[in-house]
Amino acid sequence: MPTLKSSLVLIILLFFTSLFLVTVPCSNAVAIGQSQAVSALDDAESAVVSAYQAVLKADEVGANVSGLLFQLNEAGELLTRAHVAYGLADFDSALELADLCQERLIGFVADADALTKAAVRERSFDFLVNVIGSIVGSVGVVCGGLFVWFYLDRRYGKTGGQVQ
Amino acid sequence: MSFHGYGVLFVATVGILALLIASPGLSRLLVLPRTEFFTEFWILDSNHRAEDYPFNVTRTAYYSVFLGIGNRLGHTAYYLVEVKLRNQTQSAPNSFNRTSSSLPSLFNVTAFVADKRTWEYPLAFSFDYRLNEELSQVELFSLKLNGVTVDVTGFRTVWDWRSRGFLCNLFLELWIYDAASNGFRYHGRSVGLWFNMTTS
Repeated sequence: MPTLKSSLVLIILLFFTSLFLVTVPCSNAVAIGQSQAVSALDDAESAVVSAYQAVLKADEVGANVSGLLFQLNEAGELLTRAHVAYGLADFDSALELADLCQERLIGFVADADALTKAAVRERSFDFLVNVIGSIVGSVGVVCGGLFVWFYLDRRYGKTGGQVQ
Repeated sequence: MSFHGYGVLFVATVGILALLIASPGLSRLLVLPRTEFFTEFWILDSNHRAEDYPFNVTRTAYYSVFLGIGNRLGHTAYYLVEVKLRNQTQSAPNSFNRTSSSLPSLFNVTAFVADKRTWEYPLAFSFDYRLNEELSQVELFSLKLNGVTVDVTGFRTVWDWRSRGFLCNLFLELWIYDAASNGFRYHGRSVGLWFNMTTS
């Protein structure tokens, strides 16, 4: 009987030890997965905000940002889905979607900056041609008109009605 | 007629010519400043109209609407739409105080919209619920939004005597990214639909 009792205690001890050994690594893995997902989500959010700020800069100088916005909306959709997955405790999907979101934005800020620079150049050229050019042109027309007027005045003005 | 008799005609011709040449520059310089900056926010039915919104809903049946945003802020905006669910007694957004509902968001949608542009998003949803006849209330289990199942266990709506139904309000709040605070703030816009959870 004592042998049976001690072996029963041993079996129970063994059961709880193995349960502990199995659950601890599992819970650790979940915690690691969760922290990785949180970190990836934070990074993805920062990437989206940086991309938005780059688009805002490009937009301010009059660049055509429709292509960039399409890309940014795609990244935003991935980020939303990552948040949904995180909310459902699907940390692997959340991590994957957040990484995909970041991947979608690789080179985005550089593209936006290039668009901004091109728009600034275009804007300067447009200002030079359309604003300065047209003002100089109209001043030229007025000056030319005055010149022609004085020339004709000098030539025909004194003779009055003799202009034929 | 003397040469000076043509003066007015000459001045007018030169003036018109000068104005014509100056017009590209003037069109850029003489622009009236915009004074109204706002965002439009709407829901349309499945036919892109504002007339046939779902009201009487049945368990697990799918309904669809279109969500729209029109940006008139003068710059590209980063919006966040929070989807929330409430019964007759729970917190609602206040359009006078421009405050949002204190309820948690069930589903978020982000949108980047350029100035003077609109953005549209299809929203398909279904409700899973049961009638608790003893308490005369409908108890919701889940809300499916664009294929994503959101757990809403604990949500209840009691019989409404005036409307003669079990009502719940699916509403959407518009938030906007604020660079100064590096976060979203409520933009004072919300739209929503009331549903009668039919049990027969």
